[in-house]
Amino acid sequence: MSEDPVRADPQRGRLSSRLLAHGQEPDPRFTLANERTFLAWIRTALAFLAGGVAVEAFAAEVFADPYRTVVSVLTISVGLLISVGAAMRWLNVERSMRLGRPLPMPLIIPLLSFASGVAMAVVIVLVVLD
Amino acid sequence: MSPAAPLHADPGLQPERTVLSWGRTMMLFAVVGAVFLRWLPHYGLWTVGLTLSCAVVAGAIYATQRRRYSRQSRGIAAEQVEADVPAVLITTLATAVLGLLGILAVLAQS
Repeated sequence: MSEDPVRADPQRGRLSSRLLAHGQEPDPRFTLANERTFLAWIRTALAFLAGGVAVEAFAAEVFADPYRTVVSVLTISVGLLISVGAAMRWLNVERSMRLGRPLPMPLIIPLLSFASGVAMAVVIVLVVLD
Repeated sequence: MSPAAPLHADPGLQPERTVLSWGRTMMLFAVVGAVFLRWLPHYGLWTVGLTLSCAVVAGAIYATQRRRYSRQSRGIAAEQVEADVPAVLITTLATAVLGLLGILAVLAQS
């Protein structure tokens, strides 16, 4: 256990020692690239969040009341799911890099594609029906 | 006329790109906070709390940018950067809580 990199480096924070316990520090460029990818996903989540809030605030004339609530809640929920998925993906990628494993498949990409498709379909249907 | 010593010699400009990425995220938090203000006439005064929370997150990112840049630059120079677990978790938590409160507000109103 004395070669455990966690104990060998007392400068690491408690959270990273616990969540990223195994393996070795990867190339710092990859760590920073992973951080930027996480941030890009968080911005995607924030865009969905802002979109859902805006639908509820601005689109009172476009969508009748029950539909507007549904569209708004669904859009914000997608943002919520993407934000949680972004953190999980960041953690999984960081762990894989530390262990020298191949990077995991991005599960949030199909989620994002599906959600965007559904959102557009709902909006088109609502606007055409109106 | 020699310029000040650079913090790192990485031609990929990794610290710059990462700090700029945080800057864009900070601006988006500010935008989300501004959009939340639109709820004020319909949802009541408490929505100001949502806007203030966004402002706090954006301000926290802004306040840590310099330290982030110097930490990452020194890390690149030393070939070791510790993954910033607290920043990732706090940003995720803030986004998720804002989303959750937004959903609850919309559902409570309807």
